[in-house]
Amino acid sequence: MDAAPRSLAADPAAPLARRFRSTRGEHLLVIPFSRIFDLPAGTAADLDPADPLIVALAEPGRGEVSLDRISEPLPQSISLNVSSSCNLGCAYCYAGRGGFAGVQPRPMAWDVARAAIDRLLAVAEPGAPVTIGFLGGEPFANRKLIHEAVAYATASGGRLGLDVRFSVTTNGTLLRAPDLPLLRRHPFAVTVSLDGSAEVQDAQRPRHRGGGSWARVVDRVAPLLAEPGKAKLAARATVTRHDLDIAGRLEALAGIGFPEVGFSPLKVAPEAAGPLHDEDWPHYLAALVKAARIEIERLHRGLPVRLTNLAVALKQLHRGASSPYPCGAGGGYFSVAADGRWYACHRAIGQSDYALGDSTGLDAARRRRFVETRHVHTQIECRSCWARYLCSGGCHQEASSRTAASCDFIRSWLDFCLETYCDLGTIIGGSPS
Amino acid sequence: MTNGSPRKLLPRNVAALRAGQSAEAAARLVAGNSVATRLESGVGNCFPGLEFDMRNLERRFFPFLEMETDFGSLQIVAVDVAGVDAAVAAGTIDDTSAQSYWTIDQDLGRGRSWSVTRIAGDFGPFGRQSVTLAELDGQSTGPGRRPPDAWAAARMLVEGSVVQLDLTRAAPPGQLTLSGRRTRYLDDTGALARMFEPGELTQSLCSPWTHDFRDCACFYWASNHPDIALPPLPTPAPPANDRRWDRATAWERADRTAQPPPVATANGPRETPEMAHHEINRDWQLLNFVVERREHTTLYAPSAFDARPLADLAELLRHLRYAAGVELAVMQEYLTAAWSLQDPADQPQPLRDDLRAAFAELLRVAIGEMRHLRAVNDVLAALSPPGTFAPALAVAARLPDAAPGTFRPTALRALTPEVLDHFIAIEAPSQSVDGLYGRILATIDAEVAGGDEQEQAIRTVMAEGEDHWQTFLFIREWLGRHDPATWVRGADMRPPPPDDAAHRTLQERYRNLLEQLHRGYLRRLPEGAADINAARTAMLAPDGIRGALDAVAAQNFLAVFDPIADPRFAAIDPP
Repeated sequence: MDAAPRSLAADPAAPLARRFRSTRGEHLLVIPFSRIFDLPAGTAADLDPADPLIVALAEPGRGEVSLDRISEPLPQSISLNVSSSCNLGCAYCYAGRGGFAGVQPRPMAWDVARAAIDRLLAVAEPGAPVTIGFLGGEPFANRKLIHEAVAYATASGGRLGLDVRFSVTTNGTLLRAPDLPLLRRHPFAVTVSLDGSAEVQDAQRPRHRGGGSWARVVDRVAPLLAEPGKAKLAARATVTRHDLDIAGRLEALAGIGFPEVGFSPLKVAPEAAGPLHDEDWPHYLAALVKAARIEIERLHRGLPVRLTNLAVALKQLHRGASSPYPCGAGGGYFSVAADGRWYACHRAIGQSDYALGDSTGLDAARRRRFVETRHVHTQIECRSCWARYLCSGGCHQEASSRTAASCDFIRSWLDFCLETYCDLGTIIGGSPS
Repeated sequence: MTNGSPRKLLPRNVAALRAGQSAEAAARLVAGNSVATRLESGVGNCFPGLEFDMRNLERRFFPFLEMETDFGSLQIVAVDVAGVDAAVAAGTIDDTSAQSYWTIDQDLGRGRSWSVTRIAGDFGPFGRQSVTLAELDGQSTGPGRRPPDAWAAARMLVEGSVVQLDLTRAAPPGQLTLSGRRTRYLDDTGALARMFEPGELTQSLCSPWTHDFRDCACFYWASNHPDIALPPLPTPAPPANDRRWDRATAWERADRTAQPPPVATANGPRETPEMAHHEINRDWQLLNFVVERREHTTLYAPSAFDARPLADLAELLRHLRYAAGVELAVMQEYLTAAWSLQDPADQPQPLRDDLRAAFAELLRVAIGEMRHLRAVNDVLAALSPPGTFAPALAVAARLPDAAPGTFRPTALRALTPEVLDHFIAIEAPSQSVDGLYGRILATIDAEVAGGDEQEQAIRTVMAEGEDHWQTFLFIREWLGRHDPATWVRGADMRPPPPDDAAHRTLQERYRNLLEQLHRGYLRRLPEGAADINAARTAMLAPDGIRGALDAVAAQNFLAVFDPIADPRFAAIDPP
């Protein structure tokens, strides 16, 4: 890798600021670095987008890195694709139930996992948390490996003085009693893929051999929800065009005890699975906003926000989240396939342009090429959008499905969140959630 | 009216703050005691003192748990997760316990509540027991006696002994049992244990303990513990010149019928009988709310601000220019009056102390007027059309009088009761000078876009004017105890002859001072800082204005400032 950071210049025609309103009055979003200001009455009308003040505020502040920078940080988190199979048969699964269309025919072996963990712990930035995730397929189909990997990484990280954390994305149906102490005892982010309510879950996430999965998940996850120990649980639901009732599902999933529920629209999948069409996006937005308004009402009553999409957006707006990349893919995050190859993203197992190395090291040229081509300044449709540092182009794997309608949804949702953030008022130093 | 290019942005999120300051400062959580519990506001008694809530000592009687009690229950409010993790790493607690702590922590974050339902342990004189908190009934008598309530139970547990808690979650139902050793409050040196966070002991203290202040015959309590206050105004309101309602009374006075109430004195209950302790506890509801130093017995309504705005920018600028002249004129009047007072050192007590206090306060007020002069010039500079600002340093020929729209000539006089009354009138709220600034404020508020800074400057001047008024009321009280003939250096004091050397020196130094201010104001900050600082230094230096005033007064002449012909510093009439 070159020592000198390289950069990609922003589009000089791209807007630097966006005006918006809330019940508190006029506001200004300075797009680079997502700085939010109130505009006193009378000031707003005179503000020129090319005002030197705005130009100055769009520059990096203390401790901030230029958004032109091509980011090549040290690997800080990996996911291990430990399993190549799944007991559910979801029509929209990107991983082909873990087999990735034949690319990953066998589960991960212990020596592959250990080599990846060793590599990560050896190169990670010591001052920051290190995260090891478990994916598949259904990761608990290979539970022995998960237990071994957690014990090994905890011990190795402890010797190195590293803060090692874990995550797992599971369908929940294979959780067993011996797994509970593992999840409770370690700092685990447990994401349960669960589309609930019962009807939706059983329709969208049936068991591979037939029959619904809702009752089984609820039964298996209940002990962990009741006594999570150190585990932080969240449900993650996929929304298809067949059922856009987000608020109803949020209630159903919160009702069985999930403190947080996130929703993702299905964008890339066989048509039968119900990916959203252009005409669906306004309805999806309305459904998400409806659910968000219920959460805002809860917030006013002193109750926590359960809708992850809203909670994360508010926290990020408060902090001023701003990045030319939508995720850590190929930056601080890599996904390790069962064969030991390191990919930029867990959804891209087997795709050669995402294959960036293995546990002996990364291919610097390939990685450089990847992060260059994924920088938002290189995305023609994104580089002049006002939401470019908040959305950052969205999931790389879904870029091909990007349409004007889907982008309008993202901008409208961000507008809603900006307005909500200002409506709620800011507790400087705290979090609006 | 607009003021150049108003481009004021108020940061709302952390990233916006970061653009102007360090990220660390922006993201810092400002937590701690309310201002009313800070040492400088409350009374800084140390442990064991009056000003903390004893119940807070039990907040952390059990390892890693923080609890609150209403006497009857023990509610978990926080878990020391870092402490649990450290204990796990050190092997001092088992996995099951750690998981229980982590679960409680997560539940609290989700709004679920846990409380203690049973305590088993060594309750000291009551021996080893297992106590179900819901069964405690406030009674504690006879053989096998139990603690009367949950708080007492926690207090009685022997430090260092093993305690077992049963904990219950209401919804969804849940049960956990934890064992640990009862914590200590004091370390080996007798100091409060480090486990107590700053502010923790005072956090639930909601009201002053009036009872305990009863015998403190001293008037230094903070505003949240009033012992003296202005009496409640009768209905209908008394005439403005009825001063009986502007004298502090004892807040806890025993006689609550006298109209007006008896005046409080430094001798406390001996001269103004106060309620007895039991009466305070029984009749606390008779103690009136105190707002803005005055007791209120009816619904408090903030006084309305109804000043009439001026017509336009030109009229606003004329009024500001005159306001600057008023500041200079009253400053001259106050200095002349201050230097007419006798040298306290030569006087018997208590006259000596009263003269010393009156002189110091007159000087403080005069210095305040110079600050106002600067503030008004800053506002003028900000509101003047570009390139038109000229410093306002002309002295007002006439000053606003008590009645609206009336004026009296500026007059440099020795201090007499009548002169003091004039000073009181000119600084009185909603009258004279305050009325002038009221109209200026109303105009900026209504007409000047982005005039926040100017508005705040004028508000400050008005607020300090009220302090000056209060100060003159005090001076009248102090000096009022003495024959006015004893206040000043001689009967019928007069200015020195024009060729008096000390007088000439005073005039020269004063003229130099004005020149420095003129340069400094014209150049504005930061370029004008050197001149403004030099002027400020010259005001109080022995070789400056103060030294010159001393020299004139030493000859028992009245120290006065001659009119100056230069149009920049000449007399100015009201607009």
